[in-house]
Amino acid sequence: MTPFLKYLLGRFIAIPITLLIITMVLYGIIMLAPPDERAALYLPPRLPSHLTATQIAFELEQIAAEHGMNDPYLVQYGNWLREWLGGYWGWSPTLRSEVLPVLLSRTAVTLELTFYSLLAFIPLGLLSGVVAGWRPSSRTDVLFRFSAFVGTSIPPFILGLFLLSIFYVGLRWFPPGRSSISGLTFSTSTFKAYTGFLTVDGVLNGRFDVTLNALRHLVLPVFTLSLFHWATLGRITRTLTVEEKDKDYVLLARSRGLKQRSIVWRHTFRNTVSPALTSTALSAASIVTGVYVIEVIFGLKGLSELIVGGMSGAPDAPLALAFAVYSVLLVIPIMVTLDIIKAIVDPRDRLATEETDY
Amino acid sequence: MLDWRKFFTRRQNWLALLLVGSFFIIALAAPWLAPPDDPANPTAFKGVGRTFDRLPQAPSDESPLGTVGQLADLARYGFTPGQDRFEQWDVLYTLVWGTRSALKFGLTVTIISAALGILVGTISGYAGGMVNQVLMLVTDAFLTFPVIAAVWLFQRVLYTRIYNPFTLPEEFVYWERFLMRVDIDPIMLALIVFSWMPYARLVNGMVIQQKRADYVIAARAMGARSWRIIWQHLLPNAISPAVVFGARDVGSTVILATAFIFIGFAGSVTWGFMLVAARDYVIGLGGNPFAYWWTFIPISLALVLFGVGWNLLGDGLNDLLNPRTR
Repeated sequence: MTPFLKYLLGRFIAIPITLLIITMVLYGIIMLAPPDERAALYLPPRLPSHLTATQIAFELEQIAAEHGMNDPYLVQYGNWLREWLGGYWGWSPTLRSEVLPVLLSRTAVTLELTFYSLLAFIPLGLLSGVVAGWRPSSRTDVLFRFSAFVGTSIPPFILGLFLLSIFYVGLRWFPPGRSSISGLTFSTSTFKAYTGFLTVDGVLNGRFDVTLNALRHLVLPVFTLSLFHWATLGRITRTLTVEEKDKDYVLLARSRGLKQRSIVWRHTFRNTVSPALTSTALSAASIVTGVYVIEVIFGLKGLSELIVGGMSGAPDAPLALAFAVYSVLLVIPIMVTLDIIKAIVDPRDRLATEETDY
Repeated sequence: MLDWRKFFTRRQNWLALLLVGSFFIIALAAPWLAPPDDPANPTAFKGVGRTFDRLPQAPSDESPLGTVGQLADLARYGFTPGQDRFEQWDVLYTLVWGTRSALKFGLTVTIISAALGILVGTISGYAGGMVNQVLMLVTDAFLTFPVIAAVWLFQRVLYTRIYNPFTLPEEFVYWERFLMRVDIDPIMLALIVFSWMPYARLVNGMVIQQKRADYVIAARAMGARSWRIIWQHLLPNAISPAVVFGARDVGSTVILATAFIFIGFAGSVTWGFMLVAARDYVIGLGGNPFAYWWTFIPISLALVLFGVGWNLLGDGLNDLLNPRTR
């Protein structure tokens, strides 16, 4: 087996272990709520008024016994895990439906935003970091450091609000929200939802107006999300490049008469990408958190709508748990993809037996 | 040795100290800067009269930064009840007292999660082998978890009874009583439980590196106990990246908490609720986004400066404590 395959395999084996640990923790938190409280979820919303307190208590006990809510932690967790693996993620009393279909139906919006943001800030961050770090204190570097400082200083949700008030209210260039794909498939029978990504489906259906419109809706949220992460990634890449450019191998390459461009992109770049992307991979969870927040600010009806819709009311444990686990499932692919990119670009990564750089 | 002289020659470090210092001073001097109605029992918000069109009132002598219509549903989060939407809140008052809540929030979260992370990182790094692998696996698992889902889970599952005004005091179970006694909100709890991992990883790496250093081997050869080696030798050398990270974290946790409050979670950073109250005026009524600037500009500015101050302090400490990384 080649080292690369071995590396990939190791990376994929870690995923189920990660999920196991995180779901055990989350389920433990859910279990803190007393069984009565959890059983009360499954009572009908309007109880007949003639029921006495003892009758309700009896009813609750019945439900708790039926769903095994008094069992020890491991038994309940095992049951939950079995159902979860079988595709049954629980039933939400507040949504009055099963949880998984609801989550799936809202994924495309969130994914589209996440995807375009990653696509925007990762290449730009690496690029500007390298360019700025190669000649420290040059005019480009000063400009970069200033904009990166601004980018890390402004909280994304405040930036989003200000952008909305300028570009939507003031200039009327970019609207918030998003046209809904079900609306399109409903109103025009020819429009088919292949991926759920409006930008992609527009092209696939030959409806470029839909794509353009979707992009117009995406500009502000993608910019808001990317700016902060661009600045962070760019700063890290810059620091790494500054360190890297004075190393012996660069001197050697230069003395061999290699062109500047080739030294930067074929030699130092490979060495800076890997640690820089490590930092992005480690903040993948905070990127997803940011995506939810920005969705709410810009009124994109993705997964975050579940959060806003269900802020108070009955303690809907099945929904909250499923949402949490589902969010982890969004984070892991980002991490794994970045790890694989790292391993492709930098051979040291896939050969290393023990991770040493943090 | 720490190069304090170099630290104080940099202008940005002075700016950092100035910003962070002034937030501390504002927090300490809050009773004088914005006198509460009842000095013995200061509230988070101060009502200053009622207006029947509910519109924010422009800055005046009485309230130098204007007012904004109050949020009516804060009572369930443990704030003084808002009777109706006609009452107006003083912006300056919450700006000043919010500094206190922001510092309290940021420092509590950072100190507790840093302590947790340093503990995990040190134990796993010093023990090495199997223990290290398992603990780091747990750390990495926690790293995949978006904290917003935790806030929601906590608020939805752990706090429903706490925020329900109809729950009788004797109905609370032990952990609910604990959460109420330590006065911790769901955002704080989530941030503590899900932000210790970077510290653990940083300290773990440093401890593993330092463990093999000659002076540690010498100490062990002299018969020093494990805890003495950790406390006297490893921790002082391993802790500096965590200190830098922590300084930056104070700002970023407060910003994150404000964002969570803004989208509707229950928290304790009162700046966040002020922004919620101002939400309708940020987007602008009738096309002019800055018609009601006092409702959101001062608070946003305070938040930005809070983040910048702690960030710059982190950069300065980084130069001071880890001079090689420059």
